[in-house]
Amino acid sequence: MSSSSEGLEAPSGESPGRRLSTFLFRHPRLRVGLLLAPPLSWLLLAYLGSLAVLFLAAFWRLDPFTSQVVHDYGFQNFQQLWESDVYRRITFRTIGIAAAVTVTDVLLAFPIAFYMAKVASPRTRNLLVVAVLLPLWGSYLVKVYAWRIILQENGILNWALDPFGLSGPGFGNVATWLVFSYLWLPFMILPVYAGLERIPNSMLEASADLGGKGLRTLWRVVLPLALPAIAAGSIFTFSLTLGDYITPQLVSSTQFIGNVVYINVGVANNLPFAAAFAIVPVLVMVVYLLVARRVGAFDNL
Amino acid sequence: MLRGLTSLTLAFIYLPLLVIFLYAFNDRRSLVWPIEGLTTEWFGRAIDNPGVRDALLVSLKAALGATLIALVLGSFAAMAVARYRFFGRDAISFLVILPIALPGIVTGMALNATFRNLPEPLGVDLGLFTIMVGHATFCIVVVYNNVVARLRRTQPSLGEASADLGADTWQTFRYITFPQLKTALLAGGLLAFALSFDEVIVTTFTAGPDQTLPIWILNNLSRPNQLPIVNVVAVFVILLSMIPVYFAAKLSGESAGGGATGVAGGAR
Repeated sequence: MSSSSEGLEAPSGESPGRRLSTFLFRHPRLRVGLLLAPPLSWLLLAYLGSLAVLFLAAFWRLDPFTSQVVHDYGFQNFQQLWESDVYRRITFRTIGIAAAVTVTDVLLAFPIAFYMAKVASPRTRNLLVVAVLLPLWGSYLVKVYAWRIILQENGILNWALDPFGLSGPGFGNVATWLVFSYLWLPFMILPVYAGLERIPNSMLEASADLGGKGLRTLWRVVLPLALPAIAAGSIFTFSLTLGDYITPQLVSSTQFIGNVVYINVGVANNLPFAAAFAIVPVLVMVVYLLVARRVGAFDNL
Repeated sequence: MLRGLTSLTLAFIYLPLLVIFLYAFNDRRSLVWPIEGLTTEWFGRAIDNPGVRDALLVSLKAALGATLIALVLGSFAAMAVARYRFFGRDAISFLVILPIALPGIVTGMALNATFRNLPEPLGVDLGLFTIMVGHATFCIVVVYNNVVARLRRTQPSLGEASADLGADTWQTFRYITFPQLKTALLAGGLLAFALSFDEVIVTTFTAGPDQTLPIWILNNLSRPNQLPIVNVVAVFVILLSMIPVYFAAKLSGESAGGGATGVAGGAR
């Protein structure tokens, strides 16, 4: 008994490094603690702390005479948001376009995702995954700029439609919807592809054997099984649209929640009001995430 | 029909990027379509432009700093979550994902409110440092996802064997854990770099007077005589964000047996 415990004891002549190793090995809780301390303190201090400040700032107010932020607490900012027609319209426009973009992206993503998951050869599939992946990550601003060039008065779209006697949508809500749908499409394709790939082919065959025609199989078998993946993709399309203000600024003259927030932080210097309005998309996202979780979206993230 | 729709979707994804490439070689200053002649003149002008150079430098510094911070913090969190059981483990993954799951204005606005309200001895001016802090915060998740995915596929028993054979903690990390994680760290780092290099929304709230390359583009969009240079910078940004992603996809693709979920997971 005593000899075995002595065997684990570090001999006195060992280097400090080895003694530290032994000590760490015997104390797994300490190891976890040391591993977690840096990332947790960063995320808690820099991020959650900031969110807390944002939340508090939403209840502060701006002194109308001195334009200084007064750290008194009250609901005046939320009251102003609620009572103003302008802000209510901006909120509904933002949420409405986010919903329209999400539906559009589901419709656009489904065919290519299905082709990738069920039709393409493994080689083509890998190529397609990379092709969808590349633009997902990069050059957000450049893409919006490209659409600004395409949609402008003397741009490609009007030039291409002119022979048919048509013209493009120009800048406005339609342009915003189009550009957002373009920007977030890869964020929908990849989860839907991953979700479809997990559906066993035997399910589709079974449905066909039982007399399910193409569309019926799609509607009754594929879609219900793919729903969690679609919900997972929709978290991105919805959240990314809610939090954007650059796209409306560049291809429309109408405002999103983000535009009002940005103007109030930068130009008007009304931090409390901006904070109050920034809480609106957070609340919307919390509700959205709760619904998405019920559908099973989190397992498909 | 599916083939046709797939080709159409790919065309929809890539044509707008192609338009930018064409405009970068446009020999007129205006953006009127069709383009009449091609030139490489604007590339030289863009390289000589001091505003572009300064912005590029800020972007590179911010992206490198944010990537390094994210590599350390992301892999630490990943090792704790993948290798140990402890109270609140699920909360960690949620906390790591939060900065990228919440709308960009919220993250930007929250950091802005904090930086401007820090008590005196801690006070910081908005600039390169605050850009880096902001970018690192939402880059952690990318490294974390890649490393967690790798750790789940490798066995902890190798590290235990190393310890049994007399290696200390550092040696085990140096000769066992790190080689296993190397490509995952590289892939995560490349993605973090691309994510940071390209970010606009959080950056506009944390940059103060400093300009990153995307912010330079944003500020110069309204100046018609700068547009030819903007086009060239845009091409440069496309390349510099796509090339790292391509290599990251290759790295995590090979190790995951052709699966793309490792990188797709990064976007969560």
